[in-house]
Amino acid sequence: MKKRVLALMLAFMLAIPMLSSCGSKQEELNIYTWEDYVPDSVVEAFEKETGIKVNYTNFQTNEEMLSVLSNAKGGDYDIILASDYIINIAIQEGLVGKLDKSQIPNFENIDPLYQGFFYDEANEYTVPYAPGIPLLVYDPAKVDVEITGYESLWDPSLEDSVALMDTERVVMGMALKILGKSFNTENLEDIQAAGDLLMKLAPNVRVLSNDQTQDYLLSGDVSAAFLFTSQVVLALQGNPNLEVVYPKEGLGFGCDAMFVPVNAPNASNAHKFLNYILQGEVGAEISTQVWYLCANKAAYEYLPADFQDSLIISADSVPEGEFIQNIGTAATELHNEIYTEFKANLD
Amino acid sequence: MGRKSNNWLLIAPMYIFTLLFVAGPLIYMLVLSFLQKADVWGVEFVFTLKNYLKIGKQVYLNTFWESIKLAFATTALTLLIGYPFGYFMAKLPEKRKTLFMLLIVIPFWTNALMRMYGWIILFRSNGLIEQGLMALGLIDDSLKMLYNYKAVLAGMVYALLPFMILSVYSSAEKMDWTLVEAAKDLGAKSWQAFVTITLKLTLPGILSGVILVFIPSMGLFFIADILGGGKIMLVGNLIQNQLMSTRDWPFAAALAVILMLFTTLFIWGYKKITHSDELEGLL
Repeated sequence: MKKRVLALMLAFMLAIPMLSSCGSKQEELNIYTWEDYVPDSVVEAFEKETGIKVNYTNFQTNEEMLSVLSNAKGGDYDIILASDYIINIAIQEGLVGKLDKSQIPNFENIDPLYQGFFYDEANEYTVPYAPGIPLLVYDPAKVDVEITGYESLWDPSLEDSVALMDTERVVMGMALKILGKSFNTENLEDIQAAGDLLMKLAPNVRVLSNDQTQDYLLSGDVSAAFLFTSQVVLALQGNPNLEVVYPKEGLGFGCDAMFVPVNAPNASNAHKFLNYILQGEVGAEISTQVWYLCANKAAYEYLPADFQDSLIISADSVPEGEFIQNIGTAATELHNEIYTEFKANLD
Repeated sequence: MGRKSNNWLLIAPMYIFTLLFVAGPLIYMLVLSFLQKADVWGVEFVFTLKNYLKIGKQVYLNTFWESIKLAFATTALTLLIGYPFGYFMAKLPEKRKTLFMLLIVIPFWTNALMRMYGWIILFRSNGLIEQGLMALGLIDDSLKMLYNYKAVLAGMVYALLPFMILSVYSSAEKMDWTLVEAAKDLGAKSWQAFVTITLKLTLPGILSGVILVFIPSMGLFFIADILGGGKIMLVGNLIQNQLMSTRDWPFAAALAVILMLFTTLFIWGYKKITHSDELEGLL
């Protein structure tokens, strides 16, 4: 009896791949990015229009994505959406394919403001998806000091009431900017000086978190926070009385972008997808759902007025923003040591 | 003869599995820990002891020390709560035992991450507990119960307590209670009987509980992240940080190797003290 069940199971297992392989070949597109980052509505509309089946796979971190892509030798996936600095590494490692712009007529819809960045200076590899500037947000009902920049977070009146992103380069970046240095300095003395300054921030830090950091502000756990663009917008939607500050010491800037891996199994479908999302209406649909700046010129006329209002970040500030880029091993190690020590000083 | 070869076939998958999924990763990790981080991405195949020397730096030793302190505190508290719990549970009538067992095991089967978020909803500023206390007029301002060391400790104890209870329970259950009666008959007071007999006979349970609590508490970085608000850096967090932001895999591997040596040392100590080969408990 048992044997028969086993035989049936085996037969069934063998039959599945055969079943799926007969009939006309289904066109596919494999997208690899964070959960919920490409709106379902956009994916579904693309599937309906083109008949291409989209497989959406998630990663948690940029680093996870790169190790998977590197093990796959630049294959397995057709579209990857990730952050600027990791795309820079992926291109250096030869894992990214050049775009065939003849297949992407809508490429010209991209606002040149969001092109020519360090990771793709000649605009050969990427399509910008979500550019943003991290900003300070605070609750004026709970904060007595005037917040003008990163420096204000050091104010003793903010004891145990600040939320920051749990990303060492971003947190260290605030201290570096206060000292008038670049985020990407490799001068170890400058980094150490920023580290010494950072230690003094410890008593004010209540939470370090990368996910939904705005919730701590909305729940009243903290009264000031340093947030990513989308989090700033969500915070304001939750509480319109919050104040947003462009730090006087200098802005940061980041851009998540899409690329096609060098050995993408369905590269032509990937190009179709890029062309699809670069249409004006689709671009607007994406922007209103991911809450970053809109890098698609053709989409501007479709952006609803309330979105324009809620997106308090003006594109005029983009040229001022500085990217956080990869730095040498010695500087990276010092950053890590300082951040570990910083955490030991918290609480 | 035929029977023997059959046996070999049945056992083979276990050996293959062990080699592939236990020995394989261990060797990989060990090798990785002696390699050098490449400048941009990945590793270079150059032998170095640098990763181990780096652990000797004050700031990283400090992380180990903090983790060990937290692990000791967690273990001590779970023992304090778990021992009486397991002990009295073993003395309950059969039906009650099953009930208590269910009460312990069911939350234990629920995803730990989910339970931690449950704690946040209860304990955060303006959360259910604070709202309740405020409604009763007991407090005016937020108690700030979360995002500190105490919250992490409480979360650790909560998450690991079942290991201690079940270990103590299983050795108390097997215990021959007539020995305690005999001791009393011979004039021992209750506490004397407890110390000389019960405590000694449940020692394997205590020690296996200690191991099952102590070792995970060195590495449960998500509890430190969620309830500690990302402010508590444990060895687990440090390893994760190396993989995720510094991209220093060899250093992460070296940290993991040292952590594993600790673990091995503990289990070796357990065997020495109890002369037993297996951990007590349901696992």
